[in-house]
Amino acid sequence: MSTLIKQQAYVATSSQRLVAVFAAASFGLALVFISGFASPEALHNAAHDWRHSHNFPCH
Amino acid sequence: MIVRVLKAALVAGFLAACVAATLQIFLTSPLILQAETYEKAASPEAHGAGHGSLNSPHEHHASPDAGAEDAWEPSEGFSRTAFTVLATLVSGVGYAAILVALIIAAGREIGMQTAVRWAIGGFLAVNLAPAVGLPPELPGMGGGHLAERQIWWVCTVLGTGLGLYLITAVRHHAAVALGLLAIGLPHVIGAPHAAAASSDVPAVLAAQFAARSLAVAFAFWATLGIGLGWYWTRQQDGTTSELLSQAARVTSRRKAV
Repeated sequence: MSTLIKQQAYVATSSQRLVAVFAAASFGLALVFISGFASPEALHNAAHDWRHSHNFPCH
Repeated sequence: MIVRVLKAALVAGFLAACVAATLQIFLTSPLILQAETYEKAASPEAHGAGHGSLNSPHEHHASPDAGAEDAWEPSEGFSRTAFTVLATLVSGVGYAAILVALIIAAGREIGMQTAVRWAIGGFLAVNLAPAVGLPPELPGMGGGHLAERQIWWVCTVLGTGLGLYLITAVRHHAAVALGLLAIGLPHVIGAPHAAAASSDVPAVLAAQFAARSLAVAFAFWATLGIGLGWYWTRQQDGTTSELLSQAARVTSRRKAV
C-alpha cells in the first residue's frame, strides 16, 4: 500500500513533466535575461552591480 | 508538478541570492565603488553619481531610450544595494528554474547529490568557462563590442553546458569527443575584446575583483544546489506522508463501515 502511494506521489505523467520543463525553462530564461542582459538603461542601472559581480558582459 | 517545480525554484533561488548578496556587499561591491572613482576621474563628462560608464564614449546600446540624459538609476547607498539584491534574487530564481527544468528534462530524479552536481555544472558553464575568455570586469575596464561579447558569453555557456552533459551523462567515445569540442571551440574562436583594453583601474583591484567574483559565484551555485536538493526532498516527503495519512483515514473509515 505505502509503496504504491509513494509511487503515485513521485511519478508525474510525461505530459506534466513536459509542461513543467517548458514553463520552468521559459520562466527562468526570462528572469535571467531581465537581470543580466536587458538593455533599457533603467534595468541596466538597477542590476548594474550584480551584472559586474556575476560576470555578465555589462558595457 | 509545475507548482512544485516553481516552488523549489523560488526557495533555492532565494537561498542562493541571500548568500550571494551578502557576500557581494562585503566582497565585490566595495571594489566596484572604488573602481568607479577611477572611471569618473578618467571621464569627467560622464554624468550622474552612479554609473558614469553608461554615457561614456564607448557605450553603444541601441536601446530605444539610449542617449536619454536622465535615465533612471538607483541613488547611492541603500537604494543601490537594494536593487543589487533584487537583481541577484531575480537571477537566482531564474537560474534555479532553468536548473530544475534541465534536470527533469534529462530524466534525473532530483535529490541532494544530483542537485549539487548539476549546480556545480552550472557554475562551470555560466561563470568559470566564460571567465576564461572574458574575465569579470570592473566599471571602467574594457568595454566595447557589447553585443558580440554577449553572444560569445551565451555560446560559451551553452557549449560548456552541452559539453559537460555529453561527457558526464552519455559517456560514449564520440560523445566525449563532441563534448570536449563544444567546451573548447568558443575559446579556440576567442572572446571579442576591445581593441585597446587600457584602463585606469589598478591591476591589483581588477585581479582581486575577478577572483572574488568567481568565489561569490561558486557560493551562489553551491547554495542553489543544496537549497534545491533540500527543498525538493522535503516536498517529496511531505507529499508522501500526506498521502499516507489520507490512505490511513480511508482505510479506517472502510473498517468502520
